[in-house]
Amino acid sequence: MFSQLKSRFGSGLAVGIIGMIAIWLIGLVILPQILMVDYSFRPNLLPADIGGPKDVYSLTNYETLFSNKIHLAIFFKTIWSSVLVTGLTLVVSYPIAFYLAKVATPQKAALCLLLLIIPFWINEILRTFSWYIILAYKGPLNALLLGLGLIDRPIRFLSGDGGVLIGMVYAYILFMIFPIYNAIESLDTNQIKAARNLGAGWIRTHWRVVIPHAKPGIATGCIMTFMLAAGSYAVPALLGSPGSRWFTQIIYNWFFEGGDWNQGAAYAFLLLIICIGFIALVMRIFKVGLGDIAK
Amino acid sequence: MDSSVHLDNTVMQFGDFTAIQKTDLTIQSGEFFSFLGPSGCGKTTILNMISGFIDPTQGDIKIGGKSMRGVPANKRPTSMIFQNLALFPLMTVAENIEFGLEVRGVSKSERKKASDRLLELVALEGSGAKKVSELSGGQRQRIAIARALAVEPQVLLLDEPLSALDLKLRQHMRTELKAIQRKTGITFIYITHDQGEALTMSDRVAVMSAGRIQQVADPITLYRDPHTAFVASFVGENNGVSGKVIDVNSGLVVLDCGALGKLAGRSQGNIAIGTDATLFIRPEHFRLQAENGMHTLGATIDEVNFEGAYLTLNAKTPAEQALSIQLGTHQFTESLKKGAPVSLSYNERDAIVIAGEGHV
Repeated sequence: MFSQLKSRFGSGLAVGIIGMIAIWLIGLVILPQILMVDYSFRPNLLPADIGGPKDVYSLTNYETLFSNKIHLAIFFKTIWSSVLVTGLTLVVSYPIAFYLAKVATPQKAALCLLLLIIPFWINEILRTFSWYIILAYKGPLNALLLGLGLIDRPIRFLSGDGGVLIGMVYAYILFMIFPIYNAIESLDTNQIKAARNLGAGWIRTHWRVVIPHAKPGIATGCIMTFMLAAGSYAVPALLGSPGSRWFTQIIYNWFFEGGDWNQGAAYAFLLLIICIGFIALVMRIFKVGLGDIAK
Repeated sequence: MDSSVHLDNTVMQFGDFTAIQKTDLTIQSGEFFSFLGPSGCGKTTILNMISGFIDPTQGDIKIGGKSMRGVPANKRPTSMIFQNLALFPLMTVAENIEFGLEVRGVSKSERKKASDRLLELVALEGSGAKKVSELSGGQRQRIAIARALAVEPQVLLLDEPLSALDLKLRQHMRTELKAIQRKTGITFIYITHDQGEALTMSDRVAVMSAGRIQQVADPITLYRDPHTAFVASFVGENNGVSGKVIDVNSGLVVLDCGALGKLAGRSQGNIAIGTDATLFIRPEHFRLQAENGMHTLGATIDEVNFEGAYLTLNAKTPAEQALSIQLGTHQFTESLKKGAPVSLSYNERDAIVIAGEGHV
């Protein structure tokens, strides 16, 4: 890589470019992570005791999660809810992606993409707050449903997990639509016509021809959505009720309310490890390789 | 079973653009029928209408006498072979062939029997477990045919399926397609811009131009008696010479072709004295020696090309009219060279005259 850069930019600039990338990677990505790993294995001590005889490496911080039933329940609920968010986002995104890729005229597709993207120019917190307003007990959605006579009394969207699920599906929809859209767009339209021509109805055409082709895109979208959902803080903090706490909120509490960075770091790594393991398992089940996703 | 296809006063418009002008045409049950025309003439639109991917703006498509209006593509008794074949790359060869049967709920063992039988028909026994990507172009071609035949269609639609193959294979597949058509008795509707394919395989050919069917005839009639200037110049090679009609007599028309003198040919359709018309002479109908009753034109040779069994000459008349002449190689003499004068004769029975000016 260096020789390529050198031949193109000369050695001085090449060293500069590589140096900046190295500083960015090592100083801003790798070192802080290593610091956190280090923290997670050490006890939370008073400043005076740091480096003293009590400062030894142990797995204690990691064991805490498994002895705390409430934290463990929230941990699994976070994983499960993230699966639910991923599934819901997929169900909503797939038809949109298919429409954009194969049904809409280029002009309509461009317009739809623009309409999908524009709301994402607004800060995530603001977008989530607007959902808070929409879903409120006396908010516009309830007013609309009451006005249409579909419900007799307002629904409490924001108690329980409903608000969090809706907010997250909305927050991550683009991360699902774009990979699937790209995958479906690369499908030869004649494949769909051939399936129809051989007698397949729409469901079977999708099941046997479109979805197998789009599988890498679906996998990419699902992985991104799942990771973002499991690691989300703003949406559960704003739209969640006390009963629907997210594991990220527990981690936050350890860091900034408990002041126990060591414990917080251990929790954060547990979440990361389980998420990666979970994704690896799902990829195995659906026979998707890393190479398929990188395409 | 009646598997005729009737385009019943069919019109297809896309916005302001009329892709298919009003067309009324019946393709007989069990016929090998081709639509021949340059790209953009609307032949693929006809295929899409018959297969149900689009519905005609006006008129109807009838298959076996039944109206197909509103019948979706997956419910029609047609089956299509796509230009790029559109085999399913993620399925095995057998799964590809069995797909249509799987859709119809045929049991696994029955499906296996059908795909074995079809693989035998296309001479690819034992390839069922292979991936599509492991097959050569010609083999994929035959799998596409097998897949289309598996659903036992009444009508098989072929959208230039041979265009991606090399010449030798293409010629071989022509014979094979014709043989399969005879064996199965299915109506074949073939779309092509390659006249060689259309003429060798078809029972009848419809020549199309700009959304309009110019002529429907068997290949020999189409070649000998083109009805329009477009057909005359699109099917095979032709030399068009325009002139004014000075005499019409028992099927023969005499034209005054200015510097080329008076030339005559068989008339196609009604031609009136005093109107403009074009005389068409095929390159192979020119002779170097005039016989009794032949017409003769003088020209200068521009180029002599040796093609093996025959020679082609490019020549120019004194009126700067380019002519193409085809001669048997045995007629070659040293005097046929660039710049040499040549006198070209033809029998008026071999030339035709079509109303209208100029060649297309």
